[in-house]
Amino acid sequence: MKYQHLYVVIEHEDGKPLPVSLEMLGEARRLMDGYNKRYSADEKVVAVVLGNDVHRLCEDLIFYGADAVIYADSPELLHTRNLIDTKVISQIATNKELAIKFSGAPGFVKPRYMFFSADNVGRQLSSTVLAELESGLASDINKLVIEDLEIKHQHKTRGEPMIYERTLEMYRPDFSGFLWTTILCLDNRNPEIEREYHPQACSIIPGVFAPIERDSARRGTIVDYAPKFDGRDLRVKIIGRKIVKSAVDFDSKKAVVSFGRGIKDSPEENIKMVAALAKQLEGEVGVSLPISKKPFVVSEGMSSTYMIPDRVIGTSGRKVAPLLYVAAGISGAMQHIAGMKEAGFVVAINPDEDSPIKDECDIFIRGRMEDVIPLLLEELRKQKPAIEVKK
Amino acid sequence: MADLNVAVIVKLEPDFSEGNVSYNTDGTLNRAETKSILGPHSAVASSAAFYAKVLYGARVAVTTMGPPIADTALQQAQLLSDADELHLYSDRMFAGADTLATAEVLKTGISKVDGKTDIAFSGHRASDGETGQTGPQTAWKLGFTFLGNVIDYYVDMQSRTVRAKRLISLQGFYDVIEEVEAPLPVFIAIDPSYRASFNTVSQRLTFEKYQKEARDRAQNYKQYLKVFNGQQLGVDPKLVGLPGSPTIVYKVEKIPKAKASRKAQVVEGSSREQLAKVAAKMYEVLGGIVIK
Repeated sequence: MKYQHLYVVIEHEDGKPLPVSLEMLGEARRLMDGYNKRYSADEKVVAVVLGNDVHRLCEDLIFYGADAVIYADSPELLHTRNLIDTKVISQIATNKELAIKFSGAPGFVKPRYMFFSADNVGRQLSSTVLAELESGLASDINKLVIEDLEIKHQHKTRGEPMIYERTLEMYRPDFSGFLWTTILCLDNRNPEIEREYHPQACSIIPGVFAPIERDSARRGTIVDYAPKFDGRDLRVKIIGRKIVKSAVDFDSKKAVVSFGRGIKDSPEENIKMVAALAKQLEGEVGVSLPISKKPFVVSEGMSSTYMIPDRVIGTSGRKVAPLLYVAAGISGAMQHIAGMKEAGFVVAINPDEDSPIKDECDIFIRGRMEDVIPLLLEELRKQKPAIEVKK
Repeated sequence: MADLNVAVIVKLEPDFSEGNVSYNTDGTLNRAETKSILGPHSAVASSAAFYAKVLYGARVAVTTMGPPIADTALQQAQLLSDADELHLYSDRMFAGADTLATAEVLKTGISKVDGKTDIAFSGHRASDGETGQTGPQTAWKLGFTFLGNVIDYYVDMQSRTVRAKRLISLQGFYDVIEEVEAPLPVFIAIDPSYRASFNTVSQRLTFEKYQKEARDRAQNYKQYLKVFNGQQLGVDPKLVGLPGSPTIVYKVEKIPKAKASRKAQVVEGSSREQLAKVAAKMYEVLGGIVIK
């Protein structure tokens, strides 16, 4: 078969995998176990690793579910660079000699499926790799299904119903968090524009899928690939690399107070109140994704301090797990929930009892935040003298 | 011909600001009732191009693919960039394109219409589609070096190289600011946190001069506007629009309500007595049950 296996592009920092890499392997393992059983096949989960001195990481990737690891080791690959990484990954994805080392099945041309991480690095890398491989890519996926589908499409099938076997259904939540769009990458079977599109590729939202348990008894094949590149491929030079800490610090705080579009009636005042509540609880201020798009007009100071991507909690931002999470005026779209569901205790303030947030909180305070927070603050201040928060 | 030629790729997007955006009762976007504007990330890309104009006297061309109405995005981008040319690629044959087929049109346009481009700018991602794929895919097709998440840049006109700072966040680790150097041409996807800063008096004077020019130009933007269809661009019809799109949208559905993960106790927000209990509970979970 021309198209075989599921290739997973691994991201790591100095040989330590990013959590999303193991999450992708976990989902890949589950999908391909089901696939091999259903189609009586023996296609592999193949991890692709670029780096310098990454052999130890390769072994670990087998323990986390890969059947095979293809790695390219070179000082030039120490830090990720889009240009050279795109070249090397594309070489690996189209190399039959490599595939034959872990699978006896002949005829390999390209991977059947391919996963990348939907983060700063993977989002761009997936785009350029799929532009090079000339196939389709769906971004920010949080659910995957492999299915035989009957498709009737004006262009793909010239309006005729046709069965597309082993199709990867890639589910992506839209910006509102309420709609799921399923993207398919399909060959053009219309004779006028006939063309094959493989791999079927996607980038996967970090923090969505569970990794499988590490099992050091698992065995697999590790394949060394010597990448080919010339001076032109290395024309981007990394001159400096500095680790920075965000000014927004969720991790060391025991409380997080977040706000969403519920601030709408008096945005400036409401943000001030939320900030006061966070201060009272010695917590950090978070926001929902729509807020980072600055949908309200507030003073420049408020806007640049609070309505920023750095404060977004959810799949497009940070995941937090404080002892106390307060969601003020947040409806509770799925993407937001993913960022705060590990919190110890959740208090929601919302006038609408039908909001999804009600199913994700321990106390639901029914009311508008401008009415509730001043009273709540008063009570918190009253009780503060008798109760001291342990540091 | 200027010493530096800059192209900016922009997009007309729904206006998510309150008062302009409209949501259906189920929380989804009501597209018919929502106005369209230059996307916020496109606006940042336009300001990055303006920076090149002020510092290096760059010639700026703003480009978009879209329906005829997308010329308003070009006008708004001209106001922010003092663009010398506005290019609209508009044709029914482009409709329904996914990111790869969109990148094909943009690549063809930029290489044929704009001529010799040294730097192409795009926003971080569109606020409606949010894929962030079109920029890097256009870069790859153009053969330009792609630099993403750029928060600051300058050009060494002598050596024809760009130095850029990139902000990369590594999940589970930390954020990294990386400084890179690359020869022109480059494709820069500008980070939302980018702000052009003009430090010298002469830069600020130039800035003001071009800003005034930009206002005048944007008022008469149609003079600067050129519209191209597929034939004029010379695109391969098989590589654009629906035929050139590997992906399709198979279905759209409401995300089913997840099973309740917590059982909420409902408290009346107007009841002081109940809020007092909530306050006590908050201190309790924070671990502070130390009575003085």
